[in-house]
Amino acid sequence: MEQNWESLTKQFTEMIESASDLSSIESIRVELLGKKGQIASLMANMATISKEEKKNYGMAVNSLKQKTEKLLSEKIEQLKEKDMLEKIQQEKIDITLPASRVKYGTKHPLTIVREEIEDIFMKMGYSVYNGPEVELDFYNFERANIPADHPARDMQDTFYVDENRLLRTQTTAIQMRVLESQHDKLPIKVICPGKVYRNDDDDATHSHQFIQIEGLVVDENITMADLKGTLELLARSMFGKQREIRLRQSYFPFTEPSLEIDVSCHICGGKGCPTCKHTGWIEILGAGMVHPHVLEMAGIDSSKYSGFALGVGVERVAMLKYGIDDIRNFYNNNIEFLSNYKRFE
Amino acid sequence: MRVTYKWLSKYIDLSGISAQQLADVMTKGGFEVESMEQQAYGTKLVVGQVLSCVNHPSSDHLHLCEVDVKTEILKIVCGAPNVRANQKVIVALNGCQLPNGEIKPSVIRGEQSNGMLCSLSELGVDKKNLTDEQLAGIEILGDDAVVGDSNVLQYLNLDDTIYEVSLTPNRSDCYSMWAFAKDVAALLDRKAVLPEYSYKAEKLKNSLKVVLDTDKSDCFVGTVINHVEIKPSPKWLVDSLHASGIKAINNVVDISNYVMLETGQPLHFYDLAKIPAREITVKNGLNEMYTALDGQQYHVLEDDIMITTENKAIGYAGIMGGDDSKIDENTTGIIIEAAHFNSVNIRNTSRRLSLFTEAATRFTKGIDPLACYSATERSIQLLIELANASDIEETVVVNKNDYKPLTIECSVNKVNRLLGTNFSYQQVYDVFRRLDFKPEEIDNDHILTHIPSYRRDISIHQDLVEEVIRVLGYENIVSTLPKMATTQASNAYLGDQERTMANILLGNGYSEIVSYSLISKEKDDKNVLSIGSPVRIANALGEDRRYYRTGLLASMLECISYNIARGNQSLRLYEFGDVYSDDGKQSKHLAIASCGKTDVSKWQKLQQENDFYSMKGIVLNLLDKFGYEEKRVFFKPFEQTDTILHPYRSSLVYIGRTLIGVIGQTHPKTDKEYGISSAVVAELDLKAIFQEKGAKVKFSTINKYPSVSYDLALVVKEDVTASQIVDTVKKSAGTLLNSVEIFDIYRGSNIDKGYKSVAVNIVYRSSEKTLTEKDISPVHSKVIDSLSRNLDAILRD
Repeated sequence: MEQNWESLTKQFTEMIESASDLSSIESIRVELLGKKGQIASLMANMATISKEEKKNYGMAVNSLKQKTEKLLSEKIEQLKEKDMLEKIQQEKIDITLPASRVKYGTKHPLTIVREEIEDIFMKMGYSVYNGPEVELDFYNFERANIPADHPARDMQDTFYVDENRLLRTQTTAIQMRVLESQHDKLPIKVICPGKVYRNDDDDATHSHQFIQIEGLVVDENITMADLKGTLELLARSMFGKQREIRLRQSYFPFTEPSLEIDVSCHICGGKGCPTCKHTGWIEILGAGMVHPHVLEMAGIDSSKYSGFALGVGVERVAMLKYGIDDIRNFYNNNIEFLSNYKRFE
Repeated sequence: MRVTYKWLSKYIDLSGISAQQLADVMTKGGFEVESMEQQAYGTKLVVGQVLSCVNHPSSDHLHLCEVDVKTEILKIVCGAPNVRANQKVIVALNGCQLPNGEIKPSVIRGEQSNGMLCSLSELGVDKKNLTDEQLAGIEILGDDAVVGDSNVLQYLNLDDTIYEVSLTPNRSDCYSMWAFAKDVAALLDRKAVLPEYSYKAEKLKNSLKVVLDTDKSDCFVGTVINHVEIKPSPKWLVDSLHASGIKAINNVVDISNYVMLETGQPLHFYDLAKIPAREITVKNGLNEMYTALDGQQYHVLEDDIMITTENKAIGYAGIMGGDDSKIDENTTGIIIEAAHFNSVNIRNTSRRLSLFTEAATRFTKGIDPLACYSATERSIQLLIELANASDIEETVVVNKNDYKPLTIECSVNKVNRLLGTNFSYQQVYDVFRRLDFKPEEIDNDHILTHIPSYRRDISIHQDLVEEVIRVLGYENIVSTLPKMATTQASNAYLGDQERTMANILLGNGYSEIVSYSLISKEKDDKNVLSIGSPVRIANALGEDRRYYRTGLLASMLECISYNIARGNQSLRLYEFGDVYSDDGKQSKHLAIASCGKTDVSKWQKLQQENDFYSMKGIVLNLLDKFGYEEKRVFFKPFEQTDTILHPYRSSLVYIGRTLIGVIGQTHPKTDKEYGISSAVVAELDLKAIFQEKGAKVKFSTINKYPSVSYDLALVVKEDVTASQIVDTVKKSAGTLLNSVEIFDIYRGSNIDKGYKSVAVNIVYRSSEKTLTEKDISPVHSKVIDSLSRNLDAILRD
């Protein structure tokens, strides 16, 4: 039986190539390779062929079968790939639709500023100390060199609980506790953040509750130059590298000499603008060398040790930094106000 | 305190120093200039003469004036009732800047007007210092005014700069102009020249008897002047008082005020005729009513100090004299009082009576112990000059004051050591010379300083260090950082934990609030996790800020209510805050709250519920972070019917047996009261939490054997809780149990009323082998049996 193997091969190849999808390729597979398919019937012919021809015929059929199988599986792969491509094309989404997410919350601006200052100092090896807000007169005033009837008590309207207790008017009270507890474990290098209270009516610039941060260093040979350097570092960390500071004589009962510190205006760079009331300077910090009486009261030898203290109002810094015009915003906690402070700078 | 440039220039040569430079020097030296203003202000002012003045044809009060200003004749419409022809007046020319605006050419009721005739108040002069007549009309200048003169303010002696200087409590000496001038001179390194107050007068024998019958006064200097003439003060004196904000009255009273300003020593002058006994006794107050010279009646208490004669009060010592002995136009003789009174008593009395007079301020802050003598002398001299004082008696002095001049040795070395500077001996010496501390060289390191009596703020070496750097200037310090042994920084108690908790909350969309610690009793009573009875403020601003809160939830509800009223419906908030009890307990709490639904994606309709269970999840996550695993945390129904919380949707939270917090949905009554539609809140006691020990992180090998999962649907009575089911499974399953979890609750068709269907997923796993049916089946049967026996659970198919 003569067979034109070449034309059969060509015919099969064309059939396979002509398939346009997976279902037509399946029927072609059945037509060619199925139990009753063309190749099966070619195989069946083997029985009718003479012995001499059988070998060649068998080889030819097998070769045709292998070729067909290969072509078919290639074509199936091809069609599957094509199918998948079509499918994912249909899966195309509008990537500009909004994300699904729970928006993260925001830290309170006062906390942001407080932690920023805490971190500046912690990186320099200062430890953070808290103390009670319901405080003893002893630590808030007596130990801070402000005995009863001292005129400096008039500088701060105090909320009294009873004869001995009050709401602390200054975080200096924490410093006094640290001096007492660590007078025999010098040096001292701490910062003391916390809420303080003054008997003041609330308005745009006054709040009966606010947050202070004070720093205290006590060791041998601590100088005012060290204080000035520390203040400069603090001012620049808070308000930018270009800031200059100006020290002015002032008075606090627990430091001598005492200073107030102006920082060159971060808005206008010192040229003068409404924020700095056209002076180029903004008053931000109070500081001084720890008064010898304060050291002695805590049991520290003031002829051997010296120290500096500095203090800053967190609300004031936050108001300057963010341009907030009314201190009551901090305590109203309108979520629309709070949600502004979502970035770390 | 008010100081003026001109007043300082009477004592110090200020040539070459501008008003601004002077302000800067004072500020840096410790006298902060809070404001600086011109006594009067106007840019284009000129002296003019009214040539003609006729009534405005279409007005009943305006005048049409022709005014000669030398360069031209101006037509000006003027509304002042006192304007007349021939008067010399102040003319503000077109373009002139005045405190209230610029003068522009205008047409007033049809008449052209080029300029304005001015009153002094229009130039910005303080109305307090003007007479009614001056306030009612334009200023009429004297004949000596020169038409065309543009230095009008100078002519009026109104070209001064007024500084409002804030004095720190330690520098009360500067309430004396002389002391202040000396200090400013020292800062400028110029010399202060103070007035000479020597005078020539025969002294009569003293007729006054002075008794100090109280320990609240230690010095009284009294002088009788038998003859004075009352008349108005000269202009320079009036101007000086006005510049300091003191009203001029008559020459004698004005002298007492002026000398007080000069020396810092409050003086009081009594009408001699009204003290016939010539006896003055200083006493503690008696319980009586007393009329002071302001005409007001005051209730005297024993703590007050009174000036008396013949047992009758004639003055509130150091605060205000009496009405019946005050100087008036009929006074012909006076007694001068220059005394010391206890600052604490004066402070208390003036506070109680709200009488913050110039004298009281000075006594309260403390005065120069020697100023009573110089003030007396200076008064007598001025009284002679300005009030024809004569028949002056010898001054009587009763002095129990133990003032001794103070000297302090200054070590230049120690100064530099504290400041971190390298000032030379000469530089330091010069500071003391400039300050009039009369320095004396002791050796090449030490200088002896003599502290003037008025510098009561200086008592120790460190005070001298302050003087040195104040005068030499802080700009001379070269910045360094402390050179210390390395120390390890630590955060505050609970500081690290607070930050970690905050980060978890922030990541879950919670925002931080900071609220007021002081609230009303009524509000504090609403707190659920209260530390005790609240600390009460004795002198609170009002009842709504009377107590220090004992918990945070009351404030949190306020904040939610505030935001909802402003249209912010969906909220997730937290706050850290201290709480205190009156008996001394203290803790730090964390409050968390949420309400509304939290949008995740609107267009996909994805929202997170803010309910009891989401809050429970947040709390468990916060605790788990610190090693308080879920298995150690217990929730106990709160079931209190009278709190802000829903009694059947709230829970106490325990770690082991320690109560650490509360979670709950708000009570419908609370919602109504606060205008909210249900919120869920939690409050945790951080101190209680962190007293418990948290589990440590531990490595365990990863189980390589597969797990087998079973789902059970159980029908149980409504009151069977999830944790009862879970616990029963845990108890009965033994070691093969890997996890047990509720994954569905169903009520409805097929389930009888009063019952619910609970779907439970149970996973078995062994770390030793792959479990087979044979291993699991007896265990699982035991579990089902136990559920049925203990909880009457019926297995659904």
